[in-house]
Amino acid sequence: MALPLTYNARNLVARKLSSTLTFLIVAFVVFVLSLLLSFVAGIRASLGATGSPRNIIVLKPGATAESTSLIPLDDLGPLIQTPGLALATPLTGTSAAAEAFATGRLRVGEPLLSQELAVQTMLPRRAGGAAANVAVRGVDDIAFALHADVRISAGRLFTPGALEVIVGAAAQARFAGLELGATVPLGRKGERAYKVVGVFTAGGGALESELWAPRTMIADSFHRRLASSVCLQVRDEAAVAPAVAYINGPSVGLEAKPELQYYRDLAEKTREIVVLTSVLVGIMGIGAAFAVATTMYAAVDSRRRELAMLRALGFARRSIVAALLVESLLLCLLASACGLAVSAASSGTRQDFLSDTTWTVLAYELRMTPGIVATALLVATAVSVAGTLAPALRAARLNIIVALRKA
Amino acid sequence: MLILSYLHRNIWRNPLRVLMTGLAVGLPITIFVLSVAVVDGINRFLDNSARQLRLAITHKSSIVYPLPAGYRGKIEALDHSRPITVCAMRWIGGKVEDKPQPLSTLAADPDTFPATFPEYLTDPAERAAWERDRQAIVVGRGTAAQFGWRVGDRITIRASVPPYSAIPFHVVSTAQDVVDPVTLFCRGDYLEEEIKRQGYPEGLVSFFFAKCRSSDDLEFYRTAIDAHFANTPDPTLTQDEKAFMSQFIAQQFDLPRNLTILSALTVVVAIIAAANTMSMNFRDRLAEYAALKALGFGRALVFALIQFESLAICVSAGALGALGPWYAFTYTPLRRFTVPLIQSLDVRLAVCAQAVGIAAAVGLIAAAWPVWLAARLRPVVAFRALE
Repeated sequence: MALPLTYNARNLVARKLSSTLTFLIVAFVVFVLSLLLSFVAGIRASLGATGSPRNIIVLKPGATAESTSLIPLDDLGPLIQTPGLALATPLTGTSAAAEAFATGRLRVGEPLLSQELAVQTMLPRRAGGAAANVAVRGVDDIAFALHADVRISAGRLFTPGALEVIVGAAAQARFAGLELGATVPLGRKGERAYKVVGVFTAGGGALESELWAPRTMIADSFHRRLASSVCLQVRDEAAVAPAVAYINGPSVGLEAKPELQYYRDLAEKTREIVVLTSVLVGIMGIGAAFAVATTMYAAVDSRRRELAMLRALGFARRSIVAALLVESLLLCLLASACGLAVSAASSGTRQDFLSDTTWTVLAYELRMTPGIVATALLVATAVSVAGTLAPALRAARLNIIVALRKA
Repeated sequence: MLILSYLHRNIWRNPLRVLMTGLAVGLPITIFVLSVAVVDGINRFLDNSARQLRLAITHKSSIVYPLPAGYRGKIEALDHSRPITVCAMRWIGGKVEDKPQPLSTLAADPDTFPATFPEYLTDPAERAAWERDRQAIVVGRGTAAQFGWRVGDRITIRASVPPYSAIPFHVVSTAQDVVDPVTLFCRGDYLEEEIKRQGYPEGLVSFFFAKCRSSDDLEFYRTAIDAHFANTPDPTLTQDEKAFMSQFIAQQFDLPRNLTILSALTVVVAIIAAANTMSMNFRDRLAEYAALKALGFGRALVFALIQFESLAICVSAGALGALGPWYAFTYTPLRRFTVPLIQSLDVRLAVCAQAVGIAAAVGLIAAAWPVWLAARLRPVVAFRALE
C-alpha cells in the first residue's frame, strides 16, 4: 500500500528551512538551464526559419558569408544556365511577391535569379549601449519571388530607383529610428537619407533582422559595383544537387550552398553555447543532487522512529522508498516549475548577437519551447532521484526493532 | 588541545553529510572559478589594450568599409611635433583548408608593425625574420597551439575576403608573451601583391592602428584625425584600443556581464547548500550545545565550534573546487579548450585564491543563522524540548 500524498506534502512543510533551501537550489539550477536554452532556441528558431529548400546561395569561393563575398561580373553570366533554374510563376496571397506580380513589377517567366548586395550600417539599439552593425540588403524586385515568405506587414514596398527602404520586423523592434516615415542615413558616408516606407516579416527568419532597399540605389550609395551573392531557385528539390554541382564545377567556379544549409551553418555558433550550457548545468546539477541528498539524509535520520513505525504498521519497504522519492520529487518539480516561471517571464524579449561570420547582428526572441520545459523537468527529476535514492534505500533497510527502541 | 580534537571530531561525525556538503559547495565554486577566469581573461585583454596608447582608426560608417591606404601618410603628417607611428591593417580573416574554425588574420604594414605593436617580435631573430621574409606570419600562441604550428612551419591560409586565394606563409613567431592569443599578423606588402595578382582593387585597408608617445598625444589625435577626414568621401572614427575592442565583446552575448551575474548566483547556491547543512548539524546537536552551556561554557565556545566547522568544510571544498579547474586548464588537454574571443582559458592562481576567499565567506554566512540561534539558546528550554 502506498502512503498518502498529504503525508509527503506535510513532511516537506515540517522541515521548513531545509526544504526551502533545497527548493531554492533546484529552482536556481532550472532557471539558469532554461534561460540559457531559450537563448539557443531563439537563435536557432530565427536561423532555422530562414530559407527555402529550393533556394541556392552562391558566394565567391573562400568567402565565409554574404558580407565578405564579392562576385566578379564575369562570373554572373554562366549562372543563368544553371540546370533546373526555375522561372517565375504567378503567386497569389499576401506575400510581397504576390503584390509585385499584381502591380506588374514582376513578370511571369522571369528567371528566378537574384543578385543581392549585402552591406551594413550602424544603428543604435533601443536598449542603449553600443551601436549595432545591421545588415542592409540591396535587392531587385525578383528577390521577393525567391524569398516568398517576405510579407509587407505595414506600409508598402519600396519603389525601384527611389531612396526608400523597408525594414524587417525584428530590426524595427530592436533598433531605434526605424519607424514608418523616418529616414535612415545609409551609404558609405552615411550621407543618403532613405525613407522607411514599409515593415516586412519573413516567417520569423533571419531576414527580419535586415533592411532592404533597391539594389541599384544601394550600389550607388555604397560605391559597390559587384554583387555580394546570388540567390537562385530551382524547379524542385531534386534539382538542387545538380545545380550546386554545376555552380561549384569548372564552368562557373563559384561556391553554391543550399540556402537552408547556409543558415544552418550560421547556427553552428550556438553549438558552443549548448556545450557551455551543458557543462555548467551538468556541474550545477550534480551539486544540486548532493544538496538534495543532504536534505533527504537528514529527513531520513530525523524520522527513523517514524519510518520504523510505518514499517511496523505493515507498509512495505518499497512504499517507504516510494514515499521518500515522491517527497523529493514534489519538492524538486515545484522548484523547477518556479524556476521555469521566472525564466518564462523573459521569454519573448528581444536580444541580438553579433555573428563572427557575417559581422552583422541577428535580432531574435528568447523562446521558451516545450522541449526546454521537458528538459528542465527531466533535469529536476534526475537531480531529485539521484539525491534521494541512497537515503531512501537506507531508510528501507532500517532494523525496525532497533530503530523503535532508540530514542 | 582538547578543543582542537573536539573540533576535528565534530567535522567527521557525519562523514557522508560532510562529503556531500563539500561537493555541493565545491562544484559551484568550480563554476565560479571558470566564469571569473573568463572575465579575468577578457579584462586583462582590455587593460592591456588601454595601456598601449594605441588608437584604432576605422571608417565612420562601419568597420567593414575600407579606408584608403594613403591615409597613413596624412595622419603621420598631421603634427610633426607629435610623432605617431601608424600601421595599416587589412583584415583577411582566413581559414585553414578542411578546418572549420575561422581565423583572425590581419595584414600589417611591415615597417611600422614592430614599432606599433612592441609587445610582438621582441626576439631579435624573430624580428629579423619578419623583416627579411615576405611570407612571414606571426601566430597568436592560442591559435598556434590549436593547430600545432611552430616557428619555422609553412602554413597555408585561405583568405575570406578578396583575394580569396590560398596564401602560403612562414611562421616566424608564436607570440608567447603577448596577451592576445588569437590574432595572426602577416605582411601587408605580400598580401597586396596577391591582391594585385588576383585583380582586386589595391590600396585599401580595413583600419589603422596608431601608436602615440604620450597620453597627451593620444587625446590630441583622437579628435584631430576625425576632424581632418570629416569632409572626405571616407570619414574616420578614431577610438582608443580598449573602446575599439570592447564593442566586439559587448556584442558577443556580453560575456563579462553575464558571467559575472552567473558567478554571483553560483555563490548564492553554495551559501544555500552550506547553510542547509549547518542548520541541520545545529538541530542534531541541540542537546550537546545546551549541555555545554549548562556546564558553564560561554557563547564564544559554541560560536567558535559552529563557525570553525562551517569554515573548515567550505574552505577545503572551495580550495578543491578552485584547484580542479586550475589543474585541468594548466596541465591537461583541456588547456586547448577554446573560449570565444580570448581563445585559451588561463585559470590564474590569483583567481583561485579569490575563490577560496569567497568560499570562506560562504562558510561564515552559512553558519550565521545557527550561530545566532546558538547564542540565544537557553539550556533549560533546549533540554525541555528534547524527547
